[in-house]
Amino acid sequence: MKRFPGSDILWTVIWISGLAAVMAWDSAYLNAPAFAQVQEAFLHSMIAGVVTVVLALCFGWIAGVALYFFEQRRSGWAGVLRFKLDLIRSMPQILGLLTGYVLLTFFLDRGIIATQTGQLLWTSFVISIFLFIEVADVIIERIHHYAASDFVPAMLGCGIGEGRIVNVEILWRNCRAHLLNKAVSVFGMAIFLQCSVDFVVSVGLSTDVNLTNVPVTLGSLLAKIDSKQDVLAMGIVFTDPSYLPNLFVRHLQGVSTAFVIIFTLLCIARISEGIAKRYRL
Amino acid sequence: MNGRQRTYSIRISSGRQKLVSVDDFSLQEGKITFLFGESGIGKSLISKAVYGLLDPEELDVTVNGEDYRLFLRRNETRAIQQFGFFVFQEPSTHLNPLLRLEEQLREGSLAGAPSETSILSRLWDSSSYRGVTDLLRVYPKPDRPSGGEKQRVLLTMAFKKIALLKDTPSHARSALYVFDEPSGNLDNHFRDQFLSILCEYHRQFRFTAVVITHDYSMITSLHRHQKDMLSAIAFREVFRKHQRLAVRDFAPSVYTQWADSLQPAVMPRQLSAPIIEFESGARVFGKTLVISKDANGTSPCALSIAPGMIAALKAPSGTGKTTLVKMIMGMSATARFRMTFCGEVLTHQMPRFYWRKHLWGKMMTMVFQHADEALNPSAAVKDIFHGLAEPAIRELLSEWFPDNTDPGFWKKRVRYLSGGEKQRLNLLRSLSLQTDLLILDEPLNGLDFESMTRVLTMLRMNQRKAQAVLIISHNDDVFDRLVPAEQTYYLHAR
Repeated sequence: MKRFPGSDILWTVIWISGLAAVMAWDSAYLNAPAFAQVQEAFLHSMIAGVVTVVLALCFGWIAGVALYFFEQRRSGWAGVLRFKLDLIRSMPQILGLLTGYVLLTFFLDRGIIATQTGQLLWTSFVISIFLFIEVADVIIERIHHYAASDFVPAMLGCGIGEGRIVNVEILWRNCRAHLLNKAVSVFGMAIFLQCSVDFVVSVGLSTDVNLTNVPVTLGSLLAKIDSKQDVLAMGIVFTDPSYLPNLFVRHLQGVSTAFVIIFTLLCIARISEGIAKRYRL
Repeated sequence: MNGRQRTYSIRISSGRQKLVSVDDFSLQEGKITFLFGESGIGKSLISKAVYGLLDPEELDVTVNGEDYRLFLRRNETRAIQQFGFFVFQEPSTHLNPLLRLEEQLREGSLAGAPSETSILSRLWDSSSYRGVTDLLRVYPKPDRPSGGEKQRVLLTMAFKKIALLKDTPSHARSALYVFDEPSGNLDNHFRDQFLSILCEYHRQFRFTAVVITHDYSMITSLHRHQKDMLSAIAFREVFRKHQRLAVRDFAPSVYTQWADSLQPAVMPRQLSAPIIEFESGARVFGKTLVISKDANGTSPCALSIAPGMIAALKAPSGTGKTTLVKMIMGMSATARFRMTFCGEVLTHQMPRFYWRKHLWGKMMTMVFQHADEALNPSAAVKDIFHGLAEPAIRELLSEWFPDNTDPGFWKKRVRYLSGGEKQRLNLLRSLSLQTDLLILDEPLNGLDFESMTRVLTMLRMNQRKAQAVLIISHNDDVFDRLVPAEQTYYLHAR
């Protein structure tokens, strides 16, 4: 443990090593088309997760800072913005995402979104709409925390702009650790939501939209018939433990997809905890 | 009469970070050593190392080349602790929250000391001594008693310990009594009381003591009231030399002569109209703040400062001096006030936007009292001067930090600077702005002598450029000489 400066670094190493081990194992024992699908699904999920984080950070930052300034100026827009944020907060994330997929089918039908990249971006956008509140809450809390410090009025008194004080001096210089921690947890939530919803979507959302025309992700790959059989095979182990070794050679697609999802979520939770511990958040 | 000199070479580090490295820290046995130096430079750490208060598990410490664990086992160190006393800078850390103050005053060896009544009555205003006895029945909590009251209790404990020397005079030399910023929470009157009691006991017992302070005005007080004691006092100053600490003798005459040379700041433009007139009677938190030119507050008047004039605002702690200057700066949201600034009438109803757009940093600025809180701890030194060109910043820094040759200082985070360095940056940021009005809240706090002189020189320069200055300071020794009596205002809360 002492080799690593913190458990966040340790768990990042464990995560990357674990994924590398799964990929190495799959490359040896999983058939080439299935392996290509696992890789593609993993890549799509990660890309969507990262894009979600970037969008959530941008939206959260803008919303948090805007709310602070509206409140400072006692503007009526503060109430409007807070109402909108609360409205999004009150909506179950999973329902929101399903609504986003309904819209996606509409866009696909009309040819408004034609490429896989566009579909992934749309998915990320929809997830970020329901996750940026988390970032906005951190931003607002941090601004209020630091606004009570003397350095804010001291800088104002020296003619430094309030925008710079909030964005640079408070958020950038003092809150990067908080935001990094939130970004990691948003990434975890994005992966979880995406896998859950993709799994649900794969059961059937529209007669025109199915797994063949939506980019494959870990969630949708898990819902494929082959993967489902692999997952069901895990149940056999409970009645026949001698079947266990077969899981790692004959049912790799479903098993490795399920493992990657669970392992990723576990590692991200641990990384987030580690960051909180390291920076004493 | 003089005892031997104890000299210490001390190294303290935490991991890779060097905290203190000093070779020539010496204490004269049987004398009181006044240890000056800017805040945060390492005075307390050095004294704690000598007293044996550092934790060798937490810090890497050597004293005279010896491992700290061995130093702690030495008979000399044990005697220092057994017969001596350490008054901490932050009194809350010293008092046991599970014991009433009166119990702590009679705890352990203090039980055998004479009664504390006479010391307490001198450290408190004797007219309100009944309140002191009530106070002694409380358990110390973070917010009660106040910092000043806790400090007085601790000073009383130290004096009781000293009084024990009556029965064991041979311990006077081996023991060590350390007073870390003993007047940090006291006003000038009680600071003088403390010095008076300390000197009285020293005349009796000739013990070894260290008084850590950055309040150079103690020198004037000692010269004025305890002249006979000067031969039993050593004045020393901790300073930074090539990234290391060094201790040198500080000639008190350097300070007294400098203080004597201070002349009232004379207005260069006698006929100028006031730049600011703040009306007496502002209201905040249910209190009315009355400004007057007489100490009793019988004839209220507006606080009026003309260009090129230095004015002072005086009041006991907690009256609302800082609140009032925040009103002038338009930073007190709950206040009700009225003032004329540069011919424009400003009230609490002016939108914040107006102050931000027209006044802050352009026509008025303020140096906040606590540099620790007034600077962004995560900002680098260069970031403090946002808006100034790099060559200008470098020039200012080389002038105000002449001993700092570290090329990385420019990028050093504020949180890693000493308290004195922070205060210099805090002042420099506002002094360099050339606004019409400059407000200084305790500008000399935590500064060493050189920095104090530098601040006053810069104030004079700004004054010549017609800057109006309003000062809040408990350092009467300096500002009573600098500010003409007719420019001294008193604040009363009613």
